[in-house]
Amino acid sequence: MIRTDRVFGLVVILVALTYIVSAYNLPPGNLFDKLGPKAFPTIIGIGMIVCAGFLVLRPDEEPEWPPRPTLLALGFATLVLVAYAYALKPMGFLVPTAIAAGVLSYQITPHRRAAVLVGIGLSIGLFVIFKYALGLSLFAFPRSLTG
Amino acid sequence: MKFTTLKALGTSAAISLMAASSVWAAECIAPANPGGGWDFTCRQIGKILYDIGQVDAPVQVTNMAGAGGGLAYSTVVAERNTDPELIVAASSATTTRLAQKAYGDATADQVRFVGAIGADPGVIVVAADSPFQSLSDMVEAIKADPSSVAFAGGSAAGGFDHMKPLQVLKAAGFDDITSVKYIGVDGGADAITQTVGGFTQAMTGDMSEIVGFIKSGEVRALAVLTEERVPGFEDIPTAKEQGFDVVAVNWRGLYVPGGISDEDFQKWADRLQAVADSAEWKQAMADNGLAPFTKVGGDFQSWIDGVVAQTEELSREIGVIQ
Amino acid sequence: MDIFANLALGFSVALSPWTLTLAVIGCFLGTIIGALPGLGPSNGVAILIPITFTLGLDATAALVLLTSVYYGAMYGGRISSILLNIPGDEPAMMTTLDGYPMAKQGRAGEALVISGVASFVGALLATIALALVAPYLARIAYKFGPAEYFALYVLAFATLGGMASRNQAKAGLAALIGLAIATIGLDNNAGFDRFTGGNLHLSDGVDFLVAIVGLFAVAEVFFFIETHGRDSAVGVKLERVVVPWAEMWSTRWTMLRSSAVGFIAGVLPGAGASLGSFLTYMMEKGIAGEKGGFGTGVAKGVAAPEAGNNAAAGGALVPMLTLGVPGSGTTAVLLAVLMTLNITPGPTLFADRPEVVWGLIASLLIANFVLLLMNVPLVRVFVKVLMVPPALLLPGVTMISFVGIYSLSGSYFDLVLMILFGVMGYAFRKMDIPTVPVILGILLGYQMENNLRHAMTLSGGEWTYLFSSPIAIGLWLFAVAGFVAPIFLRGMLRRPQVAEADKVID
Repeated sequence: MIRTDRVFGLVVILVALTYIVSAYNLPPGNLFDKLGPKAFPTIIGIGMIVCAGFLVLRPDEEPEWPPRPTLLALGFATLVLVAYAYALKPMGFLVPTAIAAGVLSYQITPHRRAAVLVGIGLSIGLFVIFKYALGLSLFAFPRSLTG
Repeated sequence: MKFTTLKALGTSAAISLMAASSVWAAECIAPANPGGGWDFTCRQIGKILYDIGQVDAPVQVTNMAGAGGGLAYSTVVAERNTDPELIVAASSATTTRLAQKAYGDATADQVRFVGAIGADPGVIVVAADSPFQSLSDMVEAIKADPSSVAFAGGSAAGGFDHMKPLQVLKAAGFDDITSVKYIGVDGGADAITQTVGGFTQAMTGDMSEIVGFIKSGEVRALAVLTEERVPGFEDIPTAKEQGFDVVAVNWRGLYVPGGISDEDFQKWADRLQAVADSAEWKQAMADNGLAPFTKVGGDFQSWIDGVVAQTEELSREIGVIQ
Repeated sequence: MDIFANLALGFSVALSPWTLTLAVIGCFLGTIIGALPGLGPSNGVAILIPITFTLGLDATAALVLLTSVYYGAMYGGRISSILLNIPGDEPAMMTTLDGYPMAKQGRAGEALVISGVASFVGALLATIALALVAPYLARIAYKFGPAEYFALYVLAFATLGGMASRNQAKAGLAALIGLAIATIGLDNNAGFDRFTGGNLHLSDGVDFLVAIVGLFAVAEVFFFIETHGRDSAVGVKLERVVVPWAEMWSTRWTMLRSSAVGFIAGVLPGAGASLGSFLTYMMEKGIAGEKGGFGTGVAKGVAAPEAGNNAAAGGALVPMLTLGVPGSGTTAVLLAVLMTLNITPGPTLFADRPEVVWGLIASLLIANFVLLLMNVPLVRVFVKVLMVPPALLLPGVTMISFVGIYSLSGSYFDLVLMILFGVMGYAFRKMDIPTVPVILGILLGYQMENNLRHAMTLSGGEWTYLFSSPIAIGLWLFAVAGFVAPIFLRGMLRRPQVAEADKVID
């Protein structure tokens, strides 16, 4: 039977093997550095394989994964956050923050008006706090517009 | 939302605290987290520039930590190459890493080094009860058995602190420098505790890091790596007068984007010179254990080129770069 | 007695209407900054440095302001841990384990009061200890070399077995993943980067703030999207906030023990507040045994880590002041502040600048009382956060986290990494893999490897060096005991209801 723990265990084993191989391919360290740059990562990698092996052999019962529509919603939220991360610098703080906060708000509680208000309110409110109270260097709009 | 109300309260308190800080003229990037040497450089120089009227508005300090300064360097080269209102804090660590290709493909000629206006002299220090009385004692011991002396320093292996004793050993004609033990810990004070604790036999670092411990008598400085003895610490001999021709100081200065005009470069050079000449900066240097070291403008750039070439050679020899 | 004369000197410096005002402002700002995920004490102090310049504060006033922020942030970190299951800063992560279950049961007020008092006890005892023994205690740092530090980190990971809910392998795996992440970046001993794939952003390694905010704050958003806010503490009917005297009294020994252990962890430069709160939590969990119900929302479970991490915050000032060795990110920033104020911490500071040292200690005492007075009544305000609709609260927390992380390096890279950690945190909690060990691995992994390699460098590759001092041997024995004890206890008690109980965490 396919179980999450088994799949995850196998993934971890693959990652750990890659990790050990890339550790092995590192150049040797300094002459005085007796342990060198490879030993510790190799130990960690082997430990990961052992622990992941337990997961493969003795998996716990299946976690309750959400139904497909919820998973899609989560995927969408992730995309929105990633887009927000990329937009923050070129587009300034206000617009991306309003959109991202609005979308998240709508995803948690689907009220359109409330989500719009949350988006706008948060982006302006947080901008004021961070820029003027905490003195972080943020730009409201794209720097090309404001100079 | 009560959370917001609270924050608003905090906001108004803080806004009233720093009412005058909304307009920025120039920006200084400190390529590290707040609290380090680069942060200090930006904040002090920025503050003095404003105090002595060289700029009309306070200099905004931006912290851009990452890759030991490499992130700021590549950002400046790629995105801010023609920004005439940008300065970036730099030190020996910047050139060491550039020489060792630690900033990816970046090279030292992609920016313009404006100048250095102070330096932290390099020192080599032992615990008070160490058998070594002079730098020669230590060098002889290492020549006899390279594994007998372990150094602790605040930089990574191959970094500036590691280079200092190796330069001394090279100057003494000792070539097996790769077998000399070095551990890189978190800063100079940590390196001193390891040395006073007897885990390592010597500490390599900057003068500012050892001042308190010298006064308390827990450590002795075997040598300072400057041309002349340092004012205020006249009893510490230089490596040079002990017969090892090595000068290694951790200078503090600035670079600017490579694409700015010569006039803008000159403008920053003049401003930096004004800071160097100010009483405020002299006070700040004295407070922080920096020795006078002023090289501004074209001279500085050629000096940097020499340092980079020299560091590259030594790094190749100890195997940090191929 | 000498100490009273010194303290009198300190208070004469620190007690003026102006400095008291600064203390109140500092405590308030600190608490808020501490409570905001992604903005911890080190950011808080760093952010306020320019303000001290702008205001032209003298050394004492600047110190009062900044130490108030420092202590305030240590208090504040627990607030979002308890209310939202999102640690405000990394030492507060252990407080989520029992604090959040308490909030879900409608006992957020009690959790905040008890943890607030525990913070007070820890910080107060630590400040007193700082005043009494700092100059002598500084010597401890000279006794800790690479072998001793390595043994200390092994001790921390050896107690992880007790951390797991049902499956020990999962706790182990989580810690190993954290340790593996910690090896990314510049290798301090070899001088080149490892596992970065040539990416400059990774060359300084993965910032634990990125990991902690992702694993907790971003993951929490995903949970809210999935459940639309059901099964969380938000919106739970709150009981009236009364000071739970009896419950608090029952934690008195926990607070005292945790203060002592936390203080010692703080004094050791390589350990710090996070390790302090972790060790105290695991210690108290061990003492309480399976019947203690740790992880289900018990008072001791919030008292231990908060007393521990606040005591550690005080302890961390010992090496900072007497040796100039910062034991944590925050003390590193404080150290920088002192140096720009023309105060060079080091062995001669107590003799050279008594007015600074004793002024600092007096202002810590003042800040501590201000914080207690401020925090307990404010609990009523804080718990109201839970009445904010999740559709406003969670996006707000997310955006704060983004800006906090963005301010670290001003690049999208850390943000994307944080989102990845968020996905990981969501999946891990679904799979019942604890996330605290991941953070612990990231926090300690770098130093753990570094010290192991330093030990091998110094000994020329001789492994026995790791067991060559009484302190190292003692730590190894504790580590073995900490590793074996849970296995024995489990065997003796034949795995009672603890599995069910711990499940509530996730």
